[in-house]
Amino acid sequence: MRHRHPGRTAITAAVTALALTATACGGDEAADSGGPVTLTMSAWSLNSTPEFTKLAEAFHERNPDVEVEFKEYDATNYDTQLTADLAAGSGPDVFVLKNLKNFFTYQSGEQLLDVSDVAHGLGDGVNGLGDYEVDGVTYAVPYRQDSWYLYYNKDLFATAGVTPPDATWTWAQYERAVADLTAGLKAAGSPAKAAYQHVWQSTVQGLALAQTPGADLDSGDYGYLAPYYRRALAQQEAGAQVDYGTATTNTLQYQAQFGTQQAATMLMGSWYVATLIAQQKSGDAQSFQWGFAPAPQRDGGTGDKPVTFGDPTGLGINAAIDEGEVAAAKEFLAFVAGEGGATALASIGITPATLTEPVAQAYFAVQGVPADELSRFAFTTHDTRAENPVSPETAALQNILQETHSAIMSGSTPVDEALGRAGARARSEVLGSR
Amino acid sequence: MSTTTVGGPRETGPRGTGSHRTGTHRTGPRRAGSRGAGGDRGKRWHRSLQGVSFVLPNFLGFGLLTLGPVVALFYLSFTNWNVFGTARWVGLDNFTRLARDASFHRALLNTLYYSALHIPLTLALSLALALLLDRGLRGAAFFRTAAFFPYVTSIVAIAIAWNLLFSKDAGPVNQVLGLFGVDDPPGWTASSDWAMPAVILVGVWREMGYYMLLFLAGLQTVPPELHEAARIDGAGAWQRFRNVTLPCLRPTTFFVTVMLTIGSFKVFDLILVMTNGGPGQSTLVLSQYIYQKGLVENRFGYASAVSVVLFGLCMAVTAVQFAVNRRRED
Repeated sequence: MRHRHPGRTAITAAVTALALTATACGGDEAADSGGPVTLTMSAWSLNSTPEFTKLAEAFHERNPDVEVEFKEYDATNYDTQLTADLAAGSGPDVFVLKNLKNFFTYQSGEQLLDVSDVAHGLGDGVNGLGDYEVDGVTYAVPYRQDSWYLYYNKDLFATAGVTPPDATWTWAQYERAVADLTAGLKAAGSPAKAAYQHVWQSTVQGLALAQTPGADLDSGDYGYLAPYYRRALAQQEAGAQVDYGTATTNTLQYQAQFGTQQAATMLMGSWYVATLIAQQKSGDAQSFQWGFAPAPQRDGGTGDKPVTFGDPTGLGINAAIDEGEVAAAKEFLAFVAGEGGATALASIGITPATLTEPVAQAYFAVQGVPADELSRFAFTTHDTRAENPVSPETAALQNILQETHSAIMSGSTPVDEALGRAGARARSEVLGSR
Repeated sequence: MSTTTVGGPRETGPRGTGSHRTGTHRTGPRRAGSRGAGGDRGKRWHRSLQGVSFVLPNFLGFGLLTLGPVVALFYLSFTNWNVFGTARWVGLDNFTRLARDASFHRALLNTLYYSALHIPLTLALSLALALLLDRGLRGAAFFRTAAFFPYVTSIVAIAIAWNLLFSKDAGPVNQVLGLFGVDDPPGWTASSDWAMPAVILVGVWREMGYYMLLFLAGLQTVPPELHEAARIDGAGAWQRFRNVTLPCLRPTTFFVTVMLTIGSFKVFDLILVMTNGGPGQSTLVLSQYIYQKGLVENRFGYASAVSVVLFGLCMAVTAVQFAVNRRRED
């Protein structure tokens, strides 16, 4: 691998040594063009995250001359550690873009190779592909595109005597159902709550940003979040869900809340399908009937293609990759974002970026995945908007909004006052300093 | 080398005062001296090498991992840098922006708030604990260990355990408060008013055992005769504590105060795990602000500027403490 800017690399290594936990540097095998190639790829938690191995094995089956080796990072500090490696010139040949928040840093920092040719070959059927395009150039391709669903416990709905969701639920219908569930579960003597809303800002802000026409993170106007926060606070005050303070101080896990039937509904990302299945198998979750529906909508007009949110998970090529490995790396990208990679991922319960009929069949063939029509509809039909629209200011704005979220949900600051402050801070601290 | 060693004492010895011997030494020591100087230098050089070889590994580590990054930090605070691109020199821009940055002001105030309560509380409680356990109570060793235990326990475990204790409805803290008739107990870490006091309480609880040990060591240096003399003079317990123990403990108190001050200004991990700076910005401190700007937002130039301010703050407060201490000693 070429080491560009050696002087800068030295400074970087020195500075990051203070705060970053650098992982061991892996060496690359230079490959002769045409001969066997070994690509290095970033990954995390290999023992509990089977997607990386699955993609590498599936690709190697089709391309026996190319092997993919992993460079494992800590899942929590993934971007920090990868950044340190890339800055020091020892990053892997291809690396995963865990979410869109840090894509701008890698792209503007010239760490990503132009993969527009791969993108053109993929066509329009890959969800989230456009998020990686800057000034007409594509810098990465998505291989999975998670989106948020409404998970529901069919048994608890039956216990409470409430009609389960359908594909066209609006927020108003959802609110009524939550109220009915609260009353019904109480009447039936069940200790379960109607809903569980996890402590992340995404649970409120992601859907508000995706579903509100004209909502823009970069605008500095966050009034669009108000109805979503009022709803969440009202449900909290009505005892329909565990309050934010309890969830944070008790470090509640959303998996346990839904998996042990303490909540009848839960808004969560599509990754939870595979988790719940695995936990039901291992006994960490109880055995019960469940399914997932589209997230409730702002109005009934989006019933044919419900709007939800989620960042794609992408794969990019290190700009400093050995030239002899570029062709193999691009082939790998084309595979993981295409139907081949998508089918491989779907067969282990992961939501790929490409959703074709064979992919859907592979997904619903996984034992334990709910096979009802509503779950199938939620999986195959949705309009997923980015949670972190690509912009130089996204990370800083999301920080402000994260603080705003805790201020509102803890009841420390009234909704309008907190959103007003967030806008003022965004304009003075971030947008005004452009 | 041996010539000098032998010749030296001869010259200054009781018998080496006559002119003859002096005359003998005029040539002898000169020759011997020329060899001796070289020998001296060689010996000194050898000893220096030995000394350097002992400190070199540590110094290399310090230079590479501490001094270098600190120097780089000062440079970077005058740049705009996102790790990958070239660090662009922006002069004092980062510092002028800091002066207008409301979040930085909040972080600074919160840091001062934390320090203003954490330092005196820890100082007082650790000293009180040390005085109590220095009296040879039965089971003192057990209590010393128990008090020190939180300091060696994982800070993440401590933070999670205390969060559970502080839980609004089911937490034992509020249940105990309920026993005392507190009808509307605070939400502690979920309350913007009570989150910082809660964090300070845990910080004090965690660290007082460590400083207690330092005070216990300091108490061993207090001469018992002074106490005895004071007692004979009719001094009561409080007078002996104020006029004998405290003055004798001054070096320890000074050290503890300096360490506590620096530690309080740099508090990070406890807050990160307990409240993550929230609710809102109610427990956001400077160290966390540096982390946010640097590692989350990739604004390393700006984060470096905040680090420089924190560095300056620590240096200034420590310098004042040194000056006050010196004046008291004089």
